[in-house]
Amino acid sequence: MELTNHFPALILAILLGISFLSPILYRWARKASAPALIASLFLALVMAVYLLVQVLQVGEFTYYMGGWPPPWGIEFKVNLLRVYMLLIILAVSLWIMVYALKDLEHELKTEVMGWYYTLYALVVGSMAGMALTNDLFNLFVLMEICAISACAIISIKEDRACLEASFKYLILSAMGTGCFLLGVAMLYMVTGHMNYDLVNAALPEAVELYPNNMFAAAALFIVAFGTKAALFPLHVWLPDAHASAPSPSSAMLSGLVIKIYAFALFIMFYQLFPRSLLESIPLNEIVLWLSSMGIMFGSIFAMVQVDLKKMLAYSSIGQIGYVFLGIGLDDIIAMTGGFYHLLVHAIMKSMLFMCAGIIIYTTGIRQIKQLGGIGQVLPITMIAFTIGSASMIGIPGTGGLISKWYLALGALEIGRPIFVVIILASSLLNAVYYMPIIVNAFMQQEQFQHQVKPVPRKMLIPLIVGMAAIIFFGVFSRPAIVLLDEALALFF
Amino acid sequence: MEDQIVRITSRLVTPFIQVYGIYVILHGHLSPGGGFSGGAIFGASLVLVALSFNLEVGAKQISHATASVLESGGALGFVVTGLVGVAFGANFLANRAAGFPLGEAGELFSAGAIFIITAFLGVKVASTIVTLFYNIIEGEEKSGDAH
Repeated sequence: MELTNHFPALILAILLGISFLSPILYRWARKASAPALIASLFLALVMAVYLLVQVLQVGEFTYYMGGWPPPWGIEFKVNLLRVYMLLIILAVSLWIMVYALKDLEHELKTEVMGWYYTLYALVVGSMAGMALTNDLFNLFVLMEICAISACAIISIKEDRACLEASFKYLILSAMGTGCFLLGVAMLYMVTGHMNYDLVNAALPEAVELYPNNMFAAAALFIVAFGTKAALFPLHVWLPDAHASAPSPSSAMLSGLVIKIYAFALFIMFYQLFPRSLLESIPLNEIVLWLSSMGIMFGSIFAMVQVDLKKMLAYSSIGQIGYVFLGIGLDDIIAMTGGFYHLLVHAIMKSMLFMCAGIIIYTTGIRQIKQLGGIGQVLPITMIAFTIGSASMIGIPGTGGLISKWYLALGALEIGRPIFVVIILASSLLNAVYYMPIIVNAFMQQEQFQHQVKPVPRKMLIPLIVGMAAIIFFGVFSRPAIVLLDEALALFF
Repeated sequence: MEDQIVRITSRLVTPFIQVYGIYVILHGHLSPGGGFSGGAIFGASLVLVALSFNLEVGAKQISHATASVLESGGALGFVVTGLVGVAFGANFLANRAAGFPLGEAGELFSAGAIFIITAFLGVKVASTIVTLFYNIIEGEEKSGDAH
């Protein structure tokens, strides 16, 4: 067998391997540990690109762990949508890590740096696994790994706010995984399988016999993934967790971790549940209204924040709402918009958190009020912040517009223009809290009051890459949209 | 804490606990137990020594640094065992297909990769228990109200 056949498993093996190697490297060859992590992330990314090429050539394929086919073994499935997720996860995490190299030095104590790399690789690895796995129990295990390491990359800063926030996150996300496990048990009871495709095949018959099991499982899944992905009423853990974490962790958590659970919910709805179930109970409708409320309330909460990172965190609640809106509208065009937003938001929110990180690094300021005139001293950072914000609002030329455009088109296509109104209103709300920061930063006459350290170049390069990416995906949206169209066609 | 009875008892039982821990680890593929439970038993014996004597004696058995290296090493061993499958032309985590000798079912040295993985898990769990213990102790010392 060719080595390339093993890429789905090797991506996971490399990331888990480097996570266990990092503490050893950090102890014995400190200089090598960060480059080793970057190299592994890069290698995994190269493999993911290869998987994309392979999927485009031969279509969907699977990989059996240990050579055991389902129902015995764990199956990894590679199709366009999964590779799309995988590419986002690996590319964005590599990009954040480059930024993190410099930022972590001042946010963390040196003795825990090796462990940070471990946790970072674990988060990325478990997300990559979640994108690829085709097995419910495997998904559960990966969710646990991801949840615990995500808590740890918040609490690793060891100040009071971080510990409190990560504890809150730990409890709520444990409840989320608990709900998921219960839901899986409900499905396993009536189908006897863990593999998505086998469960899917057995479900139509099981729904007839045990409808309550199915309803309970569906409800539990919405609660589980809703908690994990901060769907509106279950978002309470997110603001503290994402605001108090070290900036690279915030970028990671807001940019990627909440997204993968939205993706998992999509897979549950469209691959696991038979189409008849989605039509008989209004699962999409529930997600639709919850996400709409999230979009509005996330923005409204963000407006009243005084802390920059907290504002960004609340904005994430609104923005993840767009991804769920795509799932809720149950239409392929809207879904394309939702998944495009998943990509764009991963880039822009990570970049905004990087900007916040640079502002904190150079000046120590977290309050929005004190940012007046900062554009004169940190021009590149604030230009990046402006482009990120523009994309959040959905100004033409940025990626944010494209996703909102497709979401609105999808809403119109199924004849529900009310959601176009919601999208428009939320764009205005986004403008209400992003614009003042930019206007204050650049337009204020008086000099910036505070001491400013020079910005390290290692921190600026990722910002420039991010700006380029946002504009690229705003102008050349065609390839990704075509890819998504083809990817999502498999599920309709 | 200076207590002769506790010290002598723990000195007496520690070898037995450790042998039992190793037994549970090595028989993971044959009987209930395995890497996790056996590792926990073995780790507990090391914690017992540190508790009944003092930290220095405990550190002589296994230091915090060694424990954390072993911890990473055990997990790394698992991944490497999985990669052996890929190296020998089978799938990741393959067992017989990768050429691991299966031995005779029911014998101690059987089950191929499972045996090796359980052993690595045992090392990993035992050292994790010790690391957790040291971390808690150090955390208490840092916050200033030790003992």
